[in-house]
Amino acid sequence: MDTLVNVAHGLGVALLPINLLYCFIGVFIGTLVGVLPGIGPISAMSLLLPVTLSGTPESGIIMMAGIYYGSMYGGSTTSILVNIPGEAASVVTCIDGHQMAKQGRAGPALGISAFGSFIAGTFALIALMLVAPSLASVAIAFGPAEYFSLMVLGLVVLTFLTQGSMAKALLMACIGVVLGLVGLDSITAQPRLTFGRLELIDGIGLVPVVMGLFGVAEVLLNTEQAIKRDIIKTRINQLLPSKEDWKASAGPVARGTVLGFFLGILPGGGAVVASFASYALEKRLSKHPERFGHGAIEGVAGPESANNSAAGGAFIPLMTLGIPPNVVMALLLGAFVIHGLQPGPLMISQNPTLFWGIVASMYIGNLMLLVLNLPMIGMWVQLLRLPYNVLFPLIILFTIIGVYCSSNNVFDVHVMIAFGVIGYFMRKLGYEPAPLVLAFVLGPMLENNLRKSLILSQGNLMTFVERPISAICLAFALVLLVGPLLPSLRKKRELVALDEGA
Amino acid sequence: MTDQTNVKFRLNNSELWGGLIGLGLGAFVIWSGLKLKLGTINDPGSGYVLFYTGILMCVFAASIMIAAVTEGGPTFASRWENARWGKPVLVIVCLTAFAFALEPLGFLLSAIPLMLLLLRVIDPVRWSLAIPLSILAPLGMWWVLKHLLAIQLPSGMFEIG
Repeated sequence: MDTLVNVAHGLGVALLPINLLYCFIGVFIGTLVGVLPGIGPISAMSLLLPVTLSGTPESGIIMMAGIYYGSMYGGSTTSILVNIPGEAASVVTCIDGHQMAKQGRAGPALGISAFGSFIAGTFALIALMLVAPSLASVAIAFGPAEYFSLMVLGLVVLTFLTQGSMAKALLMACIGVVLGLVGLDSITAQPRLTFGRLELIDGIGLVPVVMGLFGVAEVLLNTEQAIKRDIIKTRINQLLPSKEDWKASAGPVARGTVLGFFLGILPGGGAVVASFASYALEKRLSKHPERFGHGAIEGVAGPESANNSAAGGAFIPLMTLGIPPNVVMALLLGAFVIHGLQPGPLMISQNPTLFWGIVASMYIGNLMLLVLNLPMIGMWVQLLRLPYNVLFPLIILFTIIGVYCSSNNVFDVHVMIAFGVIGYFMRKLGYEPAPLVLAFVLGPMLENNLRKSLILSQGNLMTFVERPISAICLAFALVLLVGPLLPSLRKKRELVALDEGA
Repeated sequence: MTDQTNVKFRLNNSELWGGLIGLGLGAFVIWSGLKLKLGTINDPGSGYVLFYTGILMCVFAASIMIAAVTEGGPTFASRWENARWGKPVLVIVCLTAFAFALEPLGFLLSAIPLMLLLLRVIDPVRWSLAIPLSILAPLGMWWVLKHLLAIQLPSGMFEIG
């Protein structure tokens, strides 16, 4: 009953005209960046982070959340029609989605992708409403040791799932922690690694780091090769899937939704992991696995539902524990912090308007996305014809302005360009930026909780293993760290390893 | 990866150099941690986490280097094989020039040439599109920021914008 009252209260907030406008802007931009290859939700969210300052916290965060789940919808359009993933979570949709389009079934592929996303998004929201308050009440009992261990687990899971060498991913995570510690020490107020620069006293900004590593570096990588787009030219009609399509897709949508939600909650997980896991699951369960890769609708329905469900699930660790499980949520945490808010176990009880307003807006956003992605599909297809040599200078201009506006400081533009160059070389040498960014955000919290737990336990390291939740997290992290040394687990890791880049 | 690129221990092995850079950074972080004071385990100081993170960095970097020596790895040349490496270099040069010109020249006088260069030099766009786009895009952004969002972009020594 309480939940229903809270949902009604949340709808009251989400239906305010200003919040509806921000929600629409968010899902529209989300679809746009999802459709456009070369710019993903991370770049778009970091670009718009300063814009959230102009409104209330609810409006800003509703818009940022809209960009994230909106990009999950938009990404599939590019995958299906052009065979280029609009963003990382849609990589797997290319396999069967584009084959369906080539066979003249672009409509049902786009249709099942949108409906599957809507069903999954709705389920994720209902689960979020039910799970988040209970988890938040448990999380109140968490001490610094539990938080420290949870963050360690999150970082280890992400490094485990990152493409390529795990040593490289762990090195990136360590560099991220160090970069996060630049500036004044939160306990002793001693400046660290500032090299005498006043601009670094408050630390390195999240926006220039993310925009450099993801926005500028992505542009540099894309300019290396001439991007060829093979857009499906036939008219897209019959967007509604047939009875047979629905029959074939019902199971994958249901399984993808549940799987995606739980993978979204896991620290280090998220939409990309969920879409790959769902595809693998459907192929394994299928009576005709040989159809996969040749236009099987199950290969579109499952992953597209999974990535949307995961996008909803990923809000749980952020809202209830204050720990972002992936880079996108780290940016959302940045939006909370900009407004002087700290998401965590107390947020639901102390700031119910914000929490329930965001949850309700996500449902409204999902409805808007259904309208944006089905009747207006023609508009997005036209947008795909925008050549990359016209698009990338505009992306660079947007990133420069976004970074400058976040701090009104030219120094941050220099930092962004430096991180863009570093990010380019990192990607060329096989070092993924995602662990660095997550560690950059978690670094100060990780240090704070480690130092607090050591002070509280009077230097007793056993505090981390004597507390059950902390012990379980550390044990799981240890298994993932040691696991890749075993050939069987190493093989499994290579199968699920992902490129979180875009 | 071709056989030529996956050679055993060679000095142009990119993995080896990547590990070496990591090792250097790790050593610097350890030194910074020591300089900031470690404190004690009961009361960790400002350099405590930095010091141990530096040690971890050295361990991971060393393992990358060991793998590079024992298993070999791609050379620098193979990393840029079939890539138009000159294009990203040009973009980096343009961005660096822009970064240094932004404060003295101001946003408009530095962004318009940047846009024109990016539109014409990388994958040339026809002049009839490049010129209006390179002028209108920065001008439009500047106008929106200044008049709608009340954000002042750098106007430079000529105070344009």
